[in-house]
Amino acid sequence: MTHGSTRTLLRLLWSRFSWRHATQAPLASALLVAILAIGVGVFLAIRLANQAAVSSFHNFTDLLTAESDGLIQAPAGALPESILTDLRQALGAEPVNLVAVLESTGTNPRESENEVIGARATFQLLGVDIVALRNLAAQRRVQTAAATRENLVATNSIVSVTRRKDLWEVLRDPHAVFISQSLAKAKGLTLDATLPLVINERIVPLRVRGILPTDPSQPEAPAEFLLMDLPALQAWTGRSGWVDRIEFVIEEGPRRKERWTAIRTQLESTAKQSSDGSPRWRVSSSADRRAGAETMTRAFRLNLTILSMLALAVGLYLVFQALDGAVVRRREEIAILRALGVTPRQIQLAWLIEATALGLVGGLAGLALGWVGAQGAVRLVGRTINALYYATSANAAYLSWTEAAVSLVLAVAASICAGILPARTAALTPPAQVATRGGSSTYAGGRWLRRPWIGISLILLGMVGAGLPPLRLEGGGRLSLAAYGSALCWAFGASILGGPVLSWLGRQGFRRETSVPIRLAFSQVREPSGRHRLAAAGLVCAIAMTAGMAILVGSFDTTMRSWIARTFQADLYISSDGAQSASTQNRIAPSTWKPIAELPQIARANAVQVAELQLPIGTTLLFGGDLEFFRTVTEPAWLEKPLNNAIFDPAQNKNLALVSESFCERFQKHRGNRLDIPTPSGVKSLVIAGSFSDYGNERGSILVDRAHFAAWFRDELASSLILQLKPGVSATQLRAELRQAHPGLAVYTNEHLRREALRIFRQTFSITYALELIGIFVAVAGLGFTLASLLWERRGDLTTLRALGLRRAELAAATAWEGVLTATAGIVVGLLASLALGWLLIERVNKQTFGWTLQTDLPWAQLALLTLLVLVAAGATGWIVGRWGSQLPAETEE
Amino acid sequence: MNLPFRITHRRLAALVALLLCLPPTTAFPAADKATSEIGGFEIPKPGRKFTFPRDHGSHPEFSIEWWYLTGHLRTQAGGPFGFQATFFRRSTSPSHSSTNAPRSAAFGHQQLFLAHMAFVDVSAQRFYHQERLNREGWDAYATTNTLDVRNGNWTLHLSDHGATPTLLLRGSCFAEIAFELSLHPLKPLVAFGTNGVSRKAAEPSAASHYLTFPRLRAQGTVAIRGAQSAVTGEAWMDHEFSSSQLGEGQVGWDWASIQLQDGRELMAYRMRRNDGTTDPFSTLAWIQPSGEIQHLNANQFSWEVLSRWKSPTSGAEYPSRLRLNTVDPASGKPFSVVLQPLVLDQELRGDIGGIAYWEGACRVENTSGQPIGNAYLELTGYAGTLKGKF
Repeated sequence: MTHGSTRTLLRLLWSRFSWRHATQAPLASALLVAILAIGVGVFLAIRLANQAAVSSFHNFTDLLTAESDGLIQAPAGALPESILTDLRQALGAEPVNLVAVLESTGTNPRESENEVIGARATFQLLGVDIVALRNLAAQRRVQTAAATRENLVATNSIVSVTRRKDLWEVLRDPHAVFISQSLAKAKGLTLDATLPLVINERIVPLRVRGILPTDPSQPEAPAEFLLMDLPALQAWTGRSGWVDRIEFVIEEGPRRKERWTAIRTQLESTAKQSSDGSPRWRVSSSADRRAGAETMTRAFRLNLTILSMLALAVGLYLVFQALDGAVVRRREEIAILRALGVTPRQIQLAWLIEATALGLVGGLAGLALGWVGAQGAVRLVGRTINALYYATSANAAYLSWTEAAVSLVLAVAASICAGILPARTAALTPPAQVATRGGSSTYAGGRWLRRPWIGISLILLGMVGAGLPPLRLEGGGRLSLAAYGSALCWAFGASILGGPVLSWLGRQGFRRETSVPIRLAFSQVREPSGRHRLAAAGLVCAIAMTAGMAILVGSFDTTMRSWIARTFQADLYISSDGAQSASTQNRIAPSTWKPIAELPQIARANAVQVAELQLPIGTTLLFGGDLEFFRTVTEPAWLEKPLNNAIFDPAQNKNLALVSESFCERFQKHRGNRLDIPTPSGVKSLVIAGSFSDYGNERGSILVDRAHFAAWFRDELASSLILQLKPGVSATQLRAELRQAHPGLAVYTNEHLRREALRIFRQTFSITYALELIGIFVAVAGLGFTLASLLWERRGDLTTLRALGLRRAELAAATAWEGVLTATAGIVVGLLASLALGWLLIERVNKQTFGWTLQTDLPWAQLALLTLLVLVAAGATGWIVGRWGSQLPAETEE
Repeated sequence: MNLPFRITHRRLAALVALLLCLPPTTAFPAADKATSEIGGFEIPKPGRKFTFPRDHGSHPEFSIEWWYLTGHLRTQAGGPFGFQATFFRRSTSPSHSSTNAPRSAAFGHQQLFLAHMAFVDVSAQRFYHQERLNREGWDAYATTNTLDVRNGNWTLHLSDHGATPTLLLRGSCFAEIAFELSLHPLKPLVAFGTNGVSRKAAEPSAASHYLTFPRLRAQGTVAIRGAQSAVTGEAWMDHEFSSSQLGEGQVGWDWASIQLQDGRELMAYRMRRNDGTTDPFSTLAWIQPSGEIQHLNANQFSWEVLSRWKSPTSGAEYPSRLRLNTVDPASGKPFSVVLQPLVLDQELRGDIGGIAYWEGACRVENTSGQPIGNAYLELTGYAGTLKGKF
């Protein structure tokens, strides 16, 4: 047969074979498309949300550093301003702009005493020398001639604003702030309007001195972006004399890249000129910095992406079922086609084309669904990133052509994957097999579903994978690739075992004395057809995955509650009222926290300081606090208890530290190991005295005595102040007094903070809950689809049963029981598998990725609810389908 | 006669205005005639005894100060080149020191430093220029005890404090041009004015201290797009400090420093008024090889525009070729020179200052067309009136 005639034949097959069936059963086709769309949509939504959360991190810095060739940061904490002069001297005649940057955060003052943490948006404050910014703008104009995209919105804006305004006034006004157009519009702010902002422990009435104009060629400054003159921000944040980083903008001219490379080399060699030989700064590029943010959240995002494929995995079963069912139903046509001379290869090709078409339509619908879902998911992802990593302002996700293509390819690939076996079956169907019509689809789903040893082998293979270590990513991140592989093996292995369990159930429940519908139902599953096995397998897969996740989340919840109860035992907790997320830079000045700590009502106070550290593997957090307070008031959950009390004695603990479990996992360090940490006073060599469980962050924590921390970092700004009150002192009353005296401070009672901590924790899991729900929905929809397919195939039997006197209600009851029985098999195996998956997620995935030991706790109520939901849904679907099936004519096409 | 003081002071004020674009009421508080101060800053006093190297340095007790250098260079193989390097300092009133603005040594708010760098490659007919504005602090400063001025990677300092001081200048125009020059005075420092004070008008505050090296030998290196060459040549340097303001009614000025091959220099300035006339304070000064200064008033010299050039960037139309007619004090005979720009486009776009002006290297020709010296010409107020801007 020529290519031309093959094309004609395929076209004919498409219109008369595939398309005709699709249009004759529009509901079934729509359901199939919907399931595929949900699978692809969820995957796409999570991907877009992840990207939006990461790219919003770009925006904040790109507004300022689009042109910067590189930057330097302190290995720990901030850089002293004096480095600027050293750098200029070291760079000599080199034409390069040095842009000092200080970053901080702030929020609007609270409107209600009872509001929850995180209710107010966090503003990102960027402090730069607004005079020197003009030089960058001038340089940009030189570059514009070369039509580069490297514009500086902030720079341009500040130039245009300050040309009109009196620059001297702006310089002398410590309240001057420049805001974005979007903030101006949203809040109705105009020039000279007051914008009160909580910065550190004060409510600062900032004055709008300019609104940054938009540039069509540039990303618009987000509403959260605020620009201030550097020394003003330094003063408000209590960080005079310090900057967070220095950006380098090489001036225009030949061999720009080579010049930066030479400067970078020079900077790296100059960095080592500190008294103890430790580097004074680390050099990186803007791209490195953005990559750092990506690296920080990579494990989190990868985990989420893998979870987002849950619905697609379950959906694959359904597509497989649908196509496989169609092969069985259309056997007669296939036989006729074969008899007419259509080759098996052409039949296989026609089926694959049908699978591709299904994938394309499902994928396109998935794009729409994914985009809509991403708008919601982006907030949930952003909330978690805010709580655990850094500030992100993402509130909308955008669909790129690349993402659309990836999703379509995924949908088509998944559909073709699911269609390969049915296509093969169709091609191999001998014309003689259609001698009799109807009958059960005994071999539906392929013979592999009837091979329990395949399931057992997969489970054993999963056990091997579960013992493998995680994949270590750049920046200290870990990905439990082997554990995820194991989860897949276990879920699919268990799903194969769903058929035998269904058969066993059918045999157990068959009694002559029971009613006809029940006997009918049991008889159907006693020797389960391939269709039954497929349905049970799909349910096992869905229930195992969703229940497994529920066990993980439930265990996390229990662990957190117990950790919060143990850790939060002080009476009052004080932080800046601007501290609304983990990314907050707001601190409390010693001039504020020291007098509070010395109040007569206070029995003991613990001022906690924190700094981000750059270690060779990745970033971590260094905390300085009262370690004796930590031991006695917070009851740490020791993993490796200190061998003696030296760590708790400031006179003896200068070279000692405690580390969190996440730190141990991430940096592979344990009690007794030596740890070199960079500080502004040089590298400090510490010995790990003990380790403890901590769920505050996944980057790891190092705890040292605050007195040493303050000396090393040469500042006493506290991130929080924890108070233990004298007996008889009312925490509520003192809280009210402190709030009145310091409106810029947030003061929480023990009960309030515990409640908030648990709420924030649960909030971070909201996206997981959403994924769980989608998984269950897909599973139940699949069950209904399967039952409908089964009845369709058995419509001849149904006609016979009606002729024998069975009423519609009885037929409906029979199919309802059939659905319940199939669901029961799926639930039993699924729940058993979920125990294994739960263990895998808790002990392997979670431990390897986040380094958190969780106390396993089965969420009985959730599991019971899931069981009930699936059983009710199965029974109801069976009933509806049964009533529909009982009306089917014996001879009809789908 | 003190006209040169007046003229240069106005030019100074105008150029400083490029720095800030501030309304006069803010930038220049009204003088208190009864006191020796203006807006909290000192005004030049007669009899000031200049001491060096201290007076080469900064004078923060005055609100305005600038160090201005221009010159003509050659390599062994080529050239010529022209350069301009100007460092400005501008202070706010000391009365503002009581402001609640945060005090920062690295990022101050009492003084701003503007600088202009320009370089012209005559054989390539290319003009390079860059402006830079910084606040006082880590990247811009001028010391008070000697000449040590910085603005970014641009520096000017005194390397030898002895009887024959040497100035070291480092400048660049983005990364296209870099130059490092050692400047050695070939003539003694000239202090304009009577008794150390250059008056510009009847008001006590309208005066400045004005110091000039009219001829310096320049040696050093120039790198054009990375290709470095040794250069030699001659340069001119002004240093002026005051606390006064620009007068009313002026829209711009034409100014030139001319170094003749016979060892004499000319400094001529024509202040243009809004009615198109020449301001009576315009002047021309002859500097003899001995350093002696002879001033001529506005009636004793004239400018004649021979051709014009229109800037494609700003749209301003500048005189591109000028004839300066005056009297040679040595012979008492008429004296004319033609200033021929070495490159037509030597316009500084005012990227930061916001005011475009033309300042460029010129060849000085006699009436027969023979080269008799070098000059730098400055033309302002052609891209829009400067009135109301300073």
